[in-house]
Amino acid sequence: MELTPSEIPKTGKPVPNQDVHPIVSNKFLTGLIGYTCSYIPVELLSATGLRPYRLLHSELNLSQKGEQLVRVDACPLVKANLGFILENQKRFAAIIGSTGCDMSRRMLEVVRLTTSIPVYVFNNPRTDNFEIFNNEIDLLVKELEQFFHRRFDKGLIQKECERWEQIRQRLRQIDARHRANPSTISTATFHNIITNYYQGDIENIKFDVSDEMSYKPRAYLLGSPISYEANPIIELIEQRLRICGDFNCGISRGIYVTVSEKTIDGLKKGYYNQPMCIFKRPNKGYYEWIEKDIKETKSTGIIAYVLDYCDNFDFELLKMEKKFALPILKLKSDFSFQNLSQLKVRIDAFIEVLASHRAGIV
Amino acid sequence: MKKKRKTIPKKIGFNTWSSQFENIPDEIIKKYKYYNNDEWGIYLSPPATFMVYGARELKRLKFDNSLEALRMWGFVFNETERLFRARQINKKIIATMGDLGTVPILVLSFPDCVPFYPECLWWIPFFKESTELLDTASKLGLPEATCFSRVVVSTFYKKAYFPKPDLILASTGASCDDYSCVMQLVEDMGYEIMWTEIPYRKNPDFLLNKPRPQDYEKTQQGLPYPRIMEDYIVQEYHRIWQRLFKLTGVNNPHRLAEIIKKVNQLRSLVAEIKQLNAAAEITPLPGLEMMTIEFGNLYGYADFDEWLDIVQMIHNMVKKRVEKGIGVLKKDAIPIAWITPSADPYLLNLVEDLGCRIIETEYVINQAMVQIEENIEPMKALARSFINGSLIGSPAERVINIKEKIAKKIIKGVLITNMLGASHCAMETRVIEKLLGSVPVLSLDVPAPFGITQQMKTRIEAFVEIIR
Repeated sequence: MELTPSEIPKTGKPVPNQDVHPIVSNKFLTGLIGYTCSYIPVELLSATGLRPYRLLHSELNLSQKGEQLVRVDACPLVKANLGFILENQKRFAAIIGSTGCDMSRRMLEVVRLTTSIPVYVFNNPRTDNFEIFNNEIDLLVKELEQFFHRRFDKGLIQKECERWEQIRQRLRQIDARHRANPSTISTATFHNIITNYYQGDIENIKFDVSDEMSYKPRAYLLGSPISYEANPIIELIEQRLRICGDFNCGISRGIYVTVSEKTIDGLKKGYYNQPMCIFKRPNKGYYEWIEKDIKETKSTGIIAYVLDYCDNFDFELLKMEKKFALPILKLKSDFSFQNLSQLKVRIDAFIEVLASHRAGIV
Repeated sequence: MKKKRKTIPKKIGFNTWSSQFENIPDEIIKKYKYYNNDEWGIYLSPPATFMVYGARELKRLKFDNSLEALRMWGFVFNETERLFRARQINKKIIATMGDLGTVPILVLSFPDCVPFYPECLWWIPFFKESTELLDTASKLGLPEATCFSRVVVSTFYKKAYFPKPDLILASTGASCDDYSCVMQLVEDMGYEIMWTEIPYRKNPDFLLNKPRPQDYEKTQQGLPYPRIMEDYIVQEYHRIWQRLFKLTGVNNPHRLAEIIKKVNQLRSLVAEIKQLNAAAEITPLPGLEMMTIEFGNLYGYADFDEWLDIVQMIHNMVKKRVEKGIGVLKKDAIPIAWITPSADPYLLNLVEDLGCRIIETEYVINQAMVQIEENIEPMKALARSFINGSLIGSPAERVINIKEKIAKKIIKGVLITNMLGASHCAMETRVIEKLLGSVPVLSLDVPAPFGITQQMKTRIEAFVEIIR
């Protein structure tokens, strides 16, 4: 049983919650509720009976389509997501955005003006302001309940929290293998696995993964979100390196949310206190987390993957270099694969820098 | 006794101003002073003075030839000196960053506190015709494809453009990323920053359901917003008040009400000047002067009382010009609207020289243009005025006034100036073009100093030809 937007009741009294989760089919991309930010609780979106689908696209054709609506200097992720939304309008029952990055917030304005998809903007405070976050979650709950005619009672929330937390727990176990020394799962493989999580297709996550032991130099990945289509870039990097840890919205970030208390209050705490996004002000907490994580993963270098016009990371590259005192490979990307040869050369050079750094030469 | 010569309004160049300045009597020069100080507060100087100190673009800019405009330019260009003087005489220098228009009102409520906006220094590379601050920003690791406000990092780094602030109040949240990143880097340099939250003005279009009427309110300009937003902002203003109290040891809420009155007086004068300028048959005041006046609403260029007096003087002059039917542009100048301010002042000259007149603007400072309610609790009144902010809502809300004037056929075309890579420009411009589709819209990327090419001029000429 699947809900398509046309089947979603627009008026009428709330219907009783159903025991069977509506996402039972493997058919891809139906009955979606899109979202854009790690601070939006996936459990609440899932409680609507729809499939929470994180907008993380980068395909060039999509980007070109998005570029018809925004300037060329807009974030490539935003442009591709816009293209994806336009191509798949009928599949989205609603899209929940947030005031995270400015361009991402403004993407919702474009969606609102150019499609008939209902949109909602979650006011995610940039400073340390739990009150706003708390009230915004309460408002989101009311909005979703009313719009989708479902009551988010304790039982439903507990069920969703348990379901998603269980998945995250299992993903964290896989993540532990990719962080281990030696690392036994590549980030490219992990990215493929976790894609199902972000696309809300959690029934089909393949948890059984065979070992891919690696003794290659260990690097830590941070920066702009790695999109669904960016796997070849990770594969390319991992031909010479092993990315053994990351803080990235398209990879591990989502599973670092821990919801201990299976209630709406628990969701608020879990999501608010997740490892801090770089866009928060001040963003000291972001650096503390990364510093700790780099040590834990015994990374000897950093790959900073920064999308064109991604201010939040672009502004901070020099600071990262100073702060972490490790060699950094800065990869600027517009998601195109036009510069692969150049990228290979840069990765090779980076390996040499890592070797020199280990030997104390640089 | 010398017979007083009538001055015909026109735009004049740098050399003409210098020779005209010789005719200004000493008593007039001595009359105008900042911080009301006779000894060192005199600021009336010809543009040549500031050119010598580095503002080289003044050589090619054209200014209104009135004494009123000269007074204004002298005062505006004198700001750096004024801030350092303020420090010398033990005033407290408070950098207010990011909110563009409301926090300085709180600061002005405390004795001897001088607010200023470091972001207004984004004009410096252009007035100086120098890429020095932009180059320094690049050396400090800032990307080149971002808002020109990145020079603020360089000014904090160089410590030469304003004294070290006694307090930095940084507002961030549902606003542009570029400047939020700039402020973060300033903090990373070792400056202590007090961060405050700018909440999002959530239009019901961005809700899934129709809101309950009791949960929503409308601003004076008719923009809907969730009531709770007022509480969020008021709480932040209370925090700022506490911090200023800690800094000064003074707590006088009555003073806030007085300052609000004064700010309203200024805003009302500016609104009238704008209105007179737009409605007059012949434009009484050039676009560049008008933009400078609008930005004065933010904080009064570090001496609020003096600025108020200057604006009053300009208001009187504009009124007289309108009554006499005289002005600075041709009668057939084509009325346009301007969206997002240009970091390069020369562009405003250029557009007028090519036959346009700017009769409506949206310079991302709408929050500083509205009246503040005087009959309610002052903090709440401030919050309610800030909620009109340009960048905290949707682009559709930004252009409501312009759309109305287009519908009435008052505006023939719209010019949008952008900064390459700036977050709101990248996302808003196409949307705005679509929203204003019934008139031609020209969208220009403001280039770095010396970047205005013949190609750009040709684009503006073509735009003028279309709308003529």
